[in-house]
Amino acid sequence: MAMHVFKYRMKCLLRDRETVFWTMVFPLLLATMFHFAFGHLVGDTVSFEPVKVAVVDSPAYQNEVFLKEMLGALSAPGDGQVLDLTIADETEAQRLLSEGEVVGVITVGEDGLGSPVGGEGARSGSVRLTVAQSGLNQSILKAILDDYLHSYATVYSIVSQNPTALGGLIERLYSRSSYTRQVSYSEAVPKPMLSAFYALVAMACMYTSFWGMRNTIDVQADLSYQGARRSVAPTHKLAVVLCDFAAALLISLGEILVLLAYLVFALKVNFGDQIGFVVLTCLVGCVAGVSFGTFVGTLFRRSVGAKIGALIGATMAMSFLAGLMVVDMKHWVARNAPVLTYINPAALISDAFYSLYVYDNLNRFFVNIGLLLAISAAFCFVSYLQLRRERYASLRLTSRSYVRLRV
Amino acid sequence: MLIRVKNLVKRYGDLLALDHFNLEVREGEILGLLGPNGSGKTTTINCILALLKYDKGSVEVFGKPMTPDAYESKRNIGVVMQNVAVFLELTVEENIDYFCGMYVEDVKTRRALVEEAIEFVGLSEYRRFRPNKLSGGLLRRLNIACGIAHKPKLIILDEPTVAVDPQSRNKILEGIRELNRNGATVVYTSHYMEEVEQLCSRIVIMDKGKTLASGTKEELKAMINRGEIITVELYFLEPDDLAHIRQLPHVADAQYSANRLTVRYDNGQHNLLTLLDYLKSRGLSFERVYSEQPTLNDVFLEITGRQLRD
Repeated sequence: MAMHVFKYRMKCLLRDRETVFWTMVFPLLLATMFHFAFGHLVGDTVSFEPVKVAVVDSPAYQNEVFLKEMLGALSAPGDGQVLDLTIADETEAQRLLSEGEVVGVITVGEDGLGSPVGGEGARSGSVRLTVAQSGLNQSILKAILDDYLHSYATVYSIVSQNPTALGGLIERLYSRSSYTRQVSYSEAVPKPMLSAFYALVAMACMYTSFWGMRNTIDVQADLSYQGARRSVAPTHKLAVVLCDFAAALLISLGEILVLLAYLVFALKVNFGDQIGFVVLTCLVGCVAGVSFGTFVGTLFRRSVGAKIGALIGATMAMSFLAGLMVVDMKHWVARNAPVLTYINPAALISDAFYSLYVYDNLNRFFVNIGLLLAISAAFCFVSYLQLRRERYASLRLTSRSYVRLRV
Repeated sequence: MLIRVKNLVKRYGDLLALDHFNLEVREGEILGLLGPNGSGKTTTINCILALLKYDKGSVEVFGKPMTPDAYESKRNIGVVMQNVAVFLELTVEENIDYFCGMYVEDVKTRRALVEEAIEFVGLSEYRRFRPNKLSGGLLRRLNIACGIAHKPKLIILDEPTVAVDPQSRNKILEGIRELNRNGATVVYTSHYMEEVEQLCSRIVIMDKGKTLASGTKEELKAMINRGEIITVELYFLEPDDLAHIRQLPHVADAQYSANRLTVRYDNGQHNLLTLLDYLKSRGLSFERVYSEQPTLNDVFLEITGRQLRD
């Protein structure tokens, strides 16, 4: 009997094209849109293009040995190449700048760097950076030159005021000390935009609640004619409910795994390498989703349309608070309303994925999974209290299925 | 007694839907539950099926109290709901198999029953169709097949012919007779008096949650002070003849106007023959003659002062 009910439930749900669209096709479309919108921010490698810069060739520049050496080192081909250097006369350099071939032009004044002490000489244009517009690459060039000039001024000052301190100065110039200690919990590189994809999977998990709600409608005599017919059959109601739940859960998990495969293999979204736990998160997420739908289906005695409206509103709110539309929302909620983080299933699912990706230990992951299971259990318990009711006060049916029939 | 309902009281808020309602259904009969819309027919059925809570009274089916977990009783009941209760995603055959499978576990037996049900309602050529491809009449037939495929001893049909074309209606009514001939007891609710008259061996007329009258159609018609009405198209009738006609046996009243003689009878038999004999004996030529037998609507009208379809 159980297999019979389960088999036909699978058929019913799989052929419900409308719900299949919202629970599977819609998340796939959304994932594709996310990919085109900011997929380049979540890849494993971020390519850095050397900054194109021109240096005006002049006797003064040729005399600035240290500057030449630094620029040469920064433009040496290899992984660490920062600059793409072109040495040209002033006219050519200006042409390159105006045509956008380079982002800046470095010019050494006729007097060279001279005495930078006091700053006025250095700023007055011993080394001048000309840019056509502002931007990241221009800022990089400015930072490089500022750093160079700062070091040059330091050396000049020490040599002129305390030559005995020169020993070891050069070595210290090449070393940088940090006065804060970085403690890393993982070797993973945090990427905020990954949260959006994780929130998307969380949203898809919560959308499986549509299956849960459909099950609830189809089993209650006061919500659908099918429910009335099933209620007069000699089959235990709890058995029917469990078979329906199992079918909905299996279909939901299949849909989420399709989405996961699409994200990982087609869109190259990184879910870490603990695939077993990733699948476990999907399973628990589906349990939470289907339970939530069952819960909303039994929660209040309104029309089916009102229930669907409430379900859509609730799942979208959960996904929004989990960072689906605004990535920083998750952090805002964590700071300003932390309790929501612990009771929002979508946030817990999203955070479970993120903690699997970021943290080497599984403590936070299991806290998320535990909370999800607890919330699901609460949904199931309340639903059971409603569904176990054996007789109804009234059978004012508003089945959407019936509305679609031509009788 | 297959069903015994005693003093059933059901309220929807302030509305009293069933008012100490009593009903008995005997094995082998087709019982018609007749009443206007809102009279409490469907509420009665839902209480019998243990779907609805009720405020007072008791319901016994197959001699046992009917409860939601009375699975043994439920196994022998077939229900055809007022509204089509099938899954749109399943085909005709799958729907019947699904609902039959909730009663019959053995796969072989079930297959045979499903085939029989498909044949019975005449949906063989539509077996692979989804419900939304079927016409209203075919949908009703599918609805019936889903309710009776497991061959129940007791079949409850709640207005199964609403919005059905005449061809499908005749098919459905003939099918119900056949189910009854094959041994099933049938409870049939309707507000179509012609159907109930035509189909049922015993009739319960209800209104406002109460039983107004019950019995065979003959017994019910005998309860009212009115027999048939005979209308004769005559071109001429003397007042003396009219007075004489009023003296004929069983005549309650006779009127002549607009070339029409209308004679109302209390009861009795061979009234038409007696009237025609008199007209012939007086040499009165007549054209058309109509005879109207009293209907259940007349019974309802006499008891409540309202039309059955008000």
